[in-house]
Amino acid sequence: MEERRYRSASGALIVLRRRQHSASCRELAVRCPRLQLRSLSAVTSAVWLAAYGLFVLSENSMVLSAAIFITLIGLIIYLHFVKIDQESLLVIGSLGIQVTSSYASGKESTTFIEMGQVKDVVINEAIHMQKVIYYLCILLQDPGDPQGVSAVVPLFQSSKPRLDCLIEVYKSCQEILEQRKTAPQSS
Amino acid sequence: ENSPAPLPERAIYGFALFLGSRFGFMLYLIWAYVPETWLFSLGLTYWPQKYWAVALPAYLLVAVGIGYILLFGINMMSTAPLNSTHTITDNYAKKQQQKKFQEEAIPALRDIPISEVNRMFFLPEK
Repeated sequence: MEERRYRSASGALIVLRRRQHSASCRELAVRCPRLQLRSLSAVTSAVWLAAYGLFVLSENSMVLSAAIFITLIGLIIYLHFVKIDQESLLVIGSLGIQVTSSYASGKESTTFIEMGQVKDVVINEAIHMQKVIYYLCILLQDPGDPQGVSAVVPLFQSSKPRLDCLIEVYKSCQEILEQRKTAPQSS
Repeated sequence: ENSPAPLPERAIYGFALFLGSRFGFMLYLIWAYVPETWLFSLGLTYWPQKYWAVALPAYLLVAVGIGYILLFGINMMSTAPLNSTHTITDNYAKKQQQKKFQEEAIPALRDIPISEVNRMFFLPEK
């Protein structure tokens, strides 16, 4: 098991953790930085100052209680649906690939793609929000056409690692994916 | 046949457009400034309301300003999302024909599949 620090596309520090469970099974996890106290207090102060300004204009004290509720509920919704803590990729040769996202509130969402559908794992470049970014993606096989790609599944969407981290993940995945080409010949 | 060189016909078109635009501008100024009673006394009664002399330029300027934002938004909407196959391939690349490999000739131009490109860039050759 090894851990290395990298940077995300926006400059935040992320940590890549690699574990080799067996010769054909690897787990790669990218951990995003936690919610910062300074950004949380900045947003809370901004919302409460705006609510106090509204209260001074309208003389209605319900505005203040509403602002408190909005802040609390907004924080809970953000932690449960938006803020991703860790994204991990579990590659099991001859079985499939499992992609897990764990949110800050503890929720985990998992997707499993069986190896028969996986054509390749590649690093693709695309335009995203006025920038060109590298991102890792799984190419799904088109059942009718052996050369065709039916769908693209982008990985590590919220942590967005930079190219150096992606190359490490790509090399680890390719070592396992190459085994499925040589395995049928050896049997 | 399609050269941008000056020709007699182009000079005539240009002069006609110049005269037409000058006349149109003079007509617009007359309609906007001359009082209605004077125009009625000349017998010209069927004009649009003078309100439009100010409203149309205002509409045009606002439309130009919105056009900047609209073009930016259309560009953002037409960009393929990260999970679409248009970032990998397209119709022309799918239907391309493979030319036979000839010795000592430059290989034919083709769209190289992304798996091959990745292997060449990121996996070190042993």
